[in-house]
Amino acid sequence: MTVIEVTELRKAYHGTPAVDGVSFTVEQGETFGVVGHNGAGKTTTVECLIGLRRPDSGTVRVLGMEPARQRRALAQRVGAQLQESELPARLKVAEALRLYAAFYREPDDWRAVLQRWGLGPIRGKSFGDLSGGQKQRLQLALALVGRPELVVLDELTTGLDPVARRETWALIGGLKAAGTTAVLVTHYMEEAEALCDRVAVFARGRIAAVGTPRELAERTGTGSLEQAYLALVESAMREEAR
Amino acid sequence: MKAFAHLTATELRLLSRDPGALFFMIAFPLMLLVLNSGNDRVEIFLPSYMAMILAIGGISVLPGIVATYRERKVLRRLAVTPVAPVALLAAQFAAQVVMGVAGSAIVVGVGVFGYDVEPPAHPLPLLLAYALCSAMVCAIGFVVAALAPRARTAELFGLLIMFPMIFLGGAAIPREGLPEELRRMGEYLPLTHAVTGLRDGWFGTPAAMPFLVLAGVTVVCTAAAAALFRWE
Repeated sequence: MTVIEVTELRKAYHGTPAVDGVSFTVEQGETFGVVGHNGAGKTTTVECLIGLRRPDSGTVRVLGMEPARQRRALAQRVGAQLQESELPARLKVAEALRLYAAFYREPDDWRAVLQRWGLGPIRGKSFGDLSGGQKQRLQLALALVGRPELVVLDELTTGLDPVARRETWALIGGLKAAGTTAVLVTHYMEEAEALCDRVAVFARGRIAAVGTPRELAERTGTGSLEQAYLALVESAMREEAR
Repeated sequence: MKAFAHLTATELRLLSRDPGALFFMIAFPLMLLVLNSGNDRVEIFLPSYMAMILAIGGISVLPGIVATYRERKVLRRLAVTPVAPVALLAAQFAAQVVMGVAGSAIVVGVGVFGYDVEPPAHPLPLLLAYALCSAMVCAIGFVVAALAPRARTAELFGLLIMFPMIFLGGAAIPREGLPEELRRMGEYLPLTHAVTGLRDGWFGTPAAMPFLVLAGVTVVCTAAAAALFRWE
């Protein structure tokens, strides 16, 4: 089953195109990576998927719905973690989870989620006192407490130290094992390589290539996703210059 | 509805963890009452402090919180849950009202039981004035939150509006003691009419004018806030 279907998506801000004709699909159970340079259109694309932005043209279907028109209905079935979004500083970890669980029709047991994501020891800590890794872990738990069919994670591991990042990888690996479809925006190629079934490389508002990390490496005649990414972005930039 | 109840309980809990809100909405009015308890007419302070507590919460505490929610993308995060971000604003309003009622109940309780103030002569008009005052100060607070570009400026604007209002409006100190020019200035402040309405309900003769002013300001400010509010 196709969970996400994006066709010829375009979105401009003040006349400058941020996303300029992007098409891709994501199948159920897939972990789909979105990589690309800053300003490549990753976040705009993701925001169109969860209904935070309305496309200028093109179609976006998520779980058979149109996100820009059916944001709240879609939110029952899609969990999201946004870049830089915070919680009230004095809100405690357990309170945040219990609160978010109350938003959904059929939520997970928030106490179980607390334990599952290793938040038990810090359940009484205020959001403002959490470390970067703990904040991201909580954000991930909040994105999942509604038992979503699809989870969208925008730069979940940006700014984390390597240990915290590896821990987060393990958590995302657990998602995949549970069959949850995931869209993962990241700057880290080893992360995309380790976690994603397929990766879309964004460059200048378009998708330069989509495929499994191995396919992308082979297609570009390079040894790793990182090398493939650099080659793809470079050739996209060259084409743009021409 | 369940989500809204949880949001309101959460906002109330957060408010009760805010030392500034706790002090200025509960301890400070009580302190003023004790300091003025030697006055021959202690009853004039009770309706005033009720208005002061509500004004502190609605006009100065609320905008800071709401603008912080916008700045830290708390509202944006909520927009991708099944709950509309406007529910958080409504919950913040409800929490302010509950906090205001708590602060008022303490000050009124001490006044009535500790200093033998006569209970209100016209409880229903008093209640109506109180409800309208709560709505009005929060509506003003939402306008401040809508106009302020950042959380820090929202806090500052809130204080700059709240302080003159409580001092010139007769909420912190009775207007009878103000010099003539300042007293006249106070007539143009909406909070003055809230104090008048509350006083009339407690020991005067309720009139229509204060209610009309409070309702009018509430409607205008709510409309302005709705039109001007930026979610991000």
